[in-house]
Amino acid sequence: MTLNDIKPGQECRIVDVNLDGATGQRLMDMGFMPGTKIKIVRNAPLVDPIDLVLRGYHVSIRHQEAKGVEVEEL
Amino acid sequence: MKEIIVAVAGQPNSGKSTIFNMLTGARQHVANYPGVTVEKRTGKYSYKGNTVTLVDLPGTYSLTSYSQEERIARDFLLHERPAVVLDIVDAANLERNLYLTFQLGEMGIPLVIALNMMDVAEGRGLKIDTFKLSELLRATIVATVGKKGKGGKELKEAILNTYKGGHFRMGYGDACESCGACLGISREKGHFRVDYGEKLEPILRPLEKMLSEDPKISARYPARWLAIKLMENDSEAHRLVGLL
Ligand SMILES: Nc1nc2c(ncn2[C@@H]2O[C@H](COP(=O)(O)OP(=O)(O)O)[C@@H](O)[C@H]2O)c(=O)[nH]1
Ligand SMILES: [Mg+2]
Repeated sequence: MTLNDIKPGQECRIVDVNLDGATGQRLMDMGFMPGTKIKIVRNAPLVDPIDLVLRGYHVSIRHQEAKGVEVEEL
Repeated sequence: MKEIIVAVAGQPNSGKSTIFNMLTGARQHVANYPGVTVEKRTGKYSYKGNTVTLVDLPGTYSLTSYSQEERIARDFLLHERPAVVLDIVDAANLERNLYLTFQLGEMGIPLVIALNMMDVAEGRGLKIDTFKLSELLRATIVATVGKKGKGGKELKEAILNTYKGGHFRMGYGDACESCGACLGISREKGHFRVDYGEKLEPILRPLEKMLSEDPKISARYPARWLAIKLMENDSEAHRLVGLL
């Protein structure tokens, strides 16, 4: 399951980040690491961005990026 | 009288511009970093007979070589070797902000940390053990509220003390009379160092040792930093080693 599958209001935990290069680095800089909890605020199919909260702050990312973040539901 | 060069670093929205203005007032100069259209703001202040020049680095989350802003910030630290780095940290987003602080610490330049947005942090009920943080980061920490102009004098004192070297001051608050408030942990007692654990350290340590034993490399770049970047497969770090 990847981050783009998670519905608004739901929480999940990062299992793995499968993104290379600049995008992967950027997400890591923002705190996307295995074990980190994420709460989805807004996620509409095909509408970018996905809004979420992790580590106490808001982050917006694209569906394309969210597909690279493997998660488990909580 | 010597001019002291201080680089001001921080993540976007940490209050970097606010603190910069608080310290330098109107004595500012704007140019571009060489060869690019990224603004380079410098400012000056005098303190206890010293002239301090602040250089505002681009606000970045990290110091990789992926974006122009990050490369500019990093190249300045690496090649210009400022005497002190003033790191503006948003106390209300401490965890994320420390990510940049760690990378600054690894570059081996003495750090002063402005723990900014303390009003916001306190408003959220956060209590930060600045003594402990200071000890772990091997850096003087000054609590500031940039928007209200709080902490400027203490920052100037911390920067001068750090420049003079020897030891950093623990905690924050009242003025430090030639480090009377300091617990006297000298920098020799240990640099800031992140332990990357049993999987990575056996790779990092020999690499660090090898780099530090190369006189050309160790004269120019902090070996620990270079080892970490090479392990990350950072393109700029590869280039630096290849050039020598
Ligand atoms: N509450 C509060 N706001 C601050 C503080 N320092 C700066 N700000 C505000 O935070 C915002 C971002 O500050 P700025 O200096 O532009 O951040 P920069 O992106 O790091 O340069 C501005 O609206 C400032 O007025 C502070 O200590 N407390
Ligand atoms: Mg700014």
